[in-house]
Amino acid sequence: MGILRVFALPAAIAATAIISSSSSSSSSPPFPFPTKLPCSVPSALATRSLRFAALSMDSSAVEIKTNFIQKDTILPELLTEFMVDMKCDACVSAVRNNLLKLDGIKNVDVDLSNQVVRILGSVSVKSMEDALAQTGRSARLIGQGNPNDFLISASVAEFKGPVIYGVVRLAQVSMELAKIDASFSGLSPGKHAWTINEFGDLTKEAASTGKVFNPPYNISEMRVLGQLNTNIIWSTMVLCGNMAMIFYLLQPLGDLGTLEGLDTGISHFSGFKERIRVSDLIGRSIVVYATEDKSVPGIAAAVIARSAGVGENYKKLCTCDGVTIWESS
Amino acid sequence: MAAQYQTLSLSSSSCARPLHAAFLARPLGLSLSTSSLAPGAAAVRRLVVVAAVKKAVAVLKGTSNVEGVVTLVQENDGPTIVNVRVTGLTPGLHGFHLHEYGDTTNGCISTGAHFNPNKMTHGAPEDEIRHAGDLGNIVADFEGVAEATIVDKQIPLSGPNSVVGRAFVVHELEDDLGKGGHELSLTTGNAGGRLACGVVGLTLLESLLETLS
Repeated sequence: MGILRVFALPAAIAATAIISSSSSSSSSPPFPFPTKLPCSVPSALATRSLRFAALSMDSSAVEIKTNFIQKDTILPELLTEFMVDMKCDACVSAVRNNLLKLDGIKNVDVDLSNQVVRILGSVSVKSMEDALAQTGRSARLIGQGNPNDFLISASVAEFKGPVIYGVVRLAQVSMELAKIDASFSGLSPGKHAWTINEFGDLTKEAASTGKVFNPPYNISEMRVLGQLNTNIIWSTMVLCGNMAMIFYLLQPLGDLGTLEGLDTGISHFSGFKERIRVSDLIGRSIVVYATEDKSVPGIAAAVIARSAGVGENYKKLCTCDGVTIWESS
Repeated sequence: MAAQYQTLSLSSSSCARPLHAAFLARPLGLSLSTSSLAPGAAAVRRLVVVAAVKKAVAVLKGTSNVEGVVTLVQENDGPTIVNVRVTGLTPGLHGFHLHEYGDTTNGCISTGAHFNPNKMTHGAPEDEIRHAGDLGNIVADFEGVAEATIVDKQIPLSGPNSVVGRAFVVHELEDDLGKGGHELSLTTGNAGGRLACGVVGLTLLESLLETLS
């Protein structure tokens, strides 16, 4: 990467190229670059630029993996609210203690009168749900958001079958980072690509959801030369006279990589994705594919909907059968 | 991908300038992000269309066999035209509302209350005092099919009160439009259970499709 910076800085112009179709999987080789360059390239420099291309290709393999931030890095915290069926102080401490056992939980705040549990931390929704389930109480996630508050910070997409059922939650944790939690059932064993697509139109299921979402800012913010962006999947530099041009091939922002279908038919995913703004995703869709191949329409799709942020949904209705805990209006 | 790249490599044949232009053209695409539709090579030409017409669609489903499709179209800052077709209903009137959230993880219940950004009480669509999401009733015929065209000014497709990402809900009973005298009249119109719901999603404009094809 250091070498890349040295080469990139003197470049006067950068040209960006994007993947317009979703046909390439992240591991496929870059498109063939024209062997005949439009202008004479000093042979010494040409050799160096080729090496440059090779270097950046190597690094791209690493970058794709780190597009989802690894779990060992320090993650930003998120406030998650559950409505939990609690009737006494003993339940409160049971719930609190079970949650505090989880790694990454910073604070658990229990409001017995409202039957609300507020959890600050960087733990997956699944782990929190499991911890709450262990206490034997029914719980429903009612809100999620950033303590520092953003206009739209929480969203949810629900897959309603008939084969694939699932819930994907996206929550903004900082301006440029979103937490993604997903649970699926009915996924066949093996790898499945999944993406955020530009439209939330399910009139023809996944076929009417358009292309993989790739906002203009995914390209325009590439302006800083020499700063390798996590979603460059391939780049090369072409010398043209005394001008250096760098071509980038960007992974569309909406490319979420792959989900692993397990023999049990149930899959969970938890991760953080950079450069995602939840407010830009509202009304779009999440699409799951039969295999890693994204060139054919997906097999299931769900619209990304607004969901309640923290503290927005205290209009409680607890029938205390543990099922209906939202106010019916 | 090949086609996209071909365009670029062609323009590179005359060296730096066309590429420079291609690069500069990208920031223009930024203005598309507000309407959030179709970035691409012909961004400038399409921009005119995109800014004028906004379109969205919701596919309604429920636990019973009630289902439907709702399409929404808004030109500039004009009223939103809502086309509704719902099947599987019992004949008669059914409350039809836009709810605050598009969250259906706990069935149609988790879509929250009627969309109510102005903190009003429940009313009829033509009332001064109403929730923005109060769209009155739709009428199902003897075959259980309800078709309606609703024109409304309080449900825009963009801006702070945008309805995109929220949900339409078809109710079991007639909405009394806040005038039934029931304790629920001023909150829900006493329209009963929620038969089907669907999240409002963005969709491709047909005019754009024509441009593209």
